[in-house]
Amino acid sequence: MFKKILIANRGEIALRVICACKDLGIKTVAVYSEADRHGLHTRFADEAICIGPASSAKSYLDVPSVISAAEITNAEAVHPGYGFLSENADFAEVCETSGLKFIGPSPEVIRRMGLKQVARAAMNEAGVPVLVGSKDVVANLEEASAIAEKIGYPVMLKASAGGGGRGMRIVRNAADLAALLPQAQAEAAAAFSCGDVYMEKLLENPRHIEFQVLADQHGNVAILGERECSIQRRHQKLIEEAPSTAVSAELRIRISDGLRDALKTIGYTNAGTVEFLMDAGGNLYFIEVNARIQVEHPVTEMVTGADLVKGQILVAAGYKLDEILPFDPGSPPLRGHAIECRINAEHPETFTPCPGRIAGLNLPGGPGIRIDTAAYTDGVIPPYYDSLVAKLIAWGANREEARARMLRALDMFVVDGVQTSIPLHQRILNHPDFIAGRLDTGFLERTAVTGPHSRDI
Amino acid sequence: MTIDEIKELLRVFNDSGVGELEIERAGERLRLRRAPSEGAVLAVAPAPLAPISLPAAPAPAPAPQALAPERPPEPAEQQVFVKSPIVGTFYESSKPDAPPFVQVGDAVEPGQILCIIESMKLMNEIPAEIAGTVVAKLAENGKPVEYGQPLFAIQPR
Repeated sequence: MFKKILIANRGEIALRVICACKDLGIKTVAVYSEADRHGLHTRFADEAICIGPASSAKSYLDVPSVISAAEITNAEAVHPGYGFLSENADFAEVCETSGLKFIGPSPEVIRRMGLKQVARAAMNEAGVPVLVGSKDVVANLEEASAIAEKIGYPVMLKASAGGGGRGMRIVRNAADLAALLPQAQAEAAAAFSCGDVYMEKLLENPRHIEFQVLADQHGNVAILGERECSIQRRHQKLIEEAPSTAVSAELRIRISDGLRDALKTIGYTNAGTVEFLMDAGGNLYFIEVNARIQVEHPVTEMVTGADLVKGQILVAAGYKLDEILPFDPGSPPLRGHAIECRINAEHPETFTPCPGRIAGLNLPGGPGIRIDTAAYTDGVIPPYYDSLVAKLIAWGANREEARARMLRALDMFVVDGVQTSIPLHQRILNHPDFIAGRLDTGFLERTAVTGPHSRDI
Repeated sequence: MTIDEIKELLRVFNDSGVGELEIERAGERLRLRRAPSEGAVLAVAPAPLAPISLPAAPAPAPAPQALAPERPPEPAEQQVFVKSPIVGTFYESSKPDAPPFVQVGDAVEPGQILCIIESMKLMNEIPAEIAGTVVAKLAENGKPVEYGQPLFAIQPR
């Protein structure tokens, strides 16, 4: 077992990793930028090292600084959290050559899953349903045009080397393709140093459904159920829940079996998430693999009883799944229902980021409530990173109880000094479409919950 | 920190013109402040002291850090800190047996190498940016330093 782990991240996820390390008796090293000097993770880690100025590029993303911090503290392993360096295969490789265990998949797997078209082909081969689209990267306009005619418009052009909405273009008809293809390629090249794009059929207002993976280093893969993350704004998730009201037990088993085989073939290890879109007919189509722990992992933890971050560390330390999970890895339990709200420091209607000092904070308690946060009274939300204030998670014996508990907790969640998305979450959770489980990625637009003041969704 | 280390720090601190020095390492924090001269106004923020360990005792418990923000160390008036631009290990000389690049009292010119910070097996030479006199050496030979940590105090010419 590791004696000391360096956490290459900040905010609530750094605290989450510290929790797992404390549970396992492992010492922790926090790294922080000058803007995070008083970040809560620096207080609760056993050691804290300043690694750079406020800019992410010069601190949390600076590989030599992070590695150096691990060297001077004699850390044995690095947990990258999510975002930042968590899916940077080069960083995972540098960790290896520096004698540090990277807590995540191998560099080769990260690299392969990061090439979206490669991951898509691998899934397709394993019988996991994928969206109809180009078999490979689209080489030129002629090829793009031919494929689009075959698939049928509207189509989506997507960057092979990255995500986050960059290098993506929706093409609704043939006339637009000539202009949009070079645009997508140029944006992809600028964002990911690789202008390769591929093409997929566009699903209008699909549901976003993802499956949680935990695989050990001995070839065992567990699929720990799905999450529904359809309520989004500009590809940023706002509310997640487990399980999905749209996934039947039969569908869950079928997809899980397919994924288990696919990921074993790929040689996947540690935690990950496989993302799907669901069309109006209830069919799931593979989109991409996120080779890291995700923000919304708590909802899966609440309904299965698994501790995923502790699981990541134990996998990296060589333990087997049946030693790590408190149940048979082949049939994870599904108990009750969990919902998570990402409470951001933003204006609830205009979404303008609202960094600043938290003048007063009341975190709600009561039955079924879990809060993952690095916020504290007099703490500061800096303007340099994400605007997440807290993840508020509610569990109930069924979806209605979870929803009622979440509303209660939102009502008692007080953040003075910065504006938050709490009013927006309240409106969403009270909306008849949410109550009925009528969810899709067009939810905010369709229901107009953002209100008359919002300039755009 | 051992008693000897603290005594050495006090000696260096008293010999220098530095007005206030705060060192934080591995959960322990020590702040030294010169008694204010008449008329000077100091913002006093008492720093919790870590329990001093005697040689036989095990590693001291980490000092409880207050949630309220504390300011990083400031150099005395007219003095300038040379701060570490990277994370790594501080070396005062080019080789173990070589004499230090600079000693307290030395005059330095811009570009003159003051020390080496080793990071990922690479030796980074750290130059002075200004002309002046070295008033204090604030980092310990062979010990880790973090980004922004004061290495030397320089009195500009």
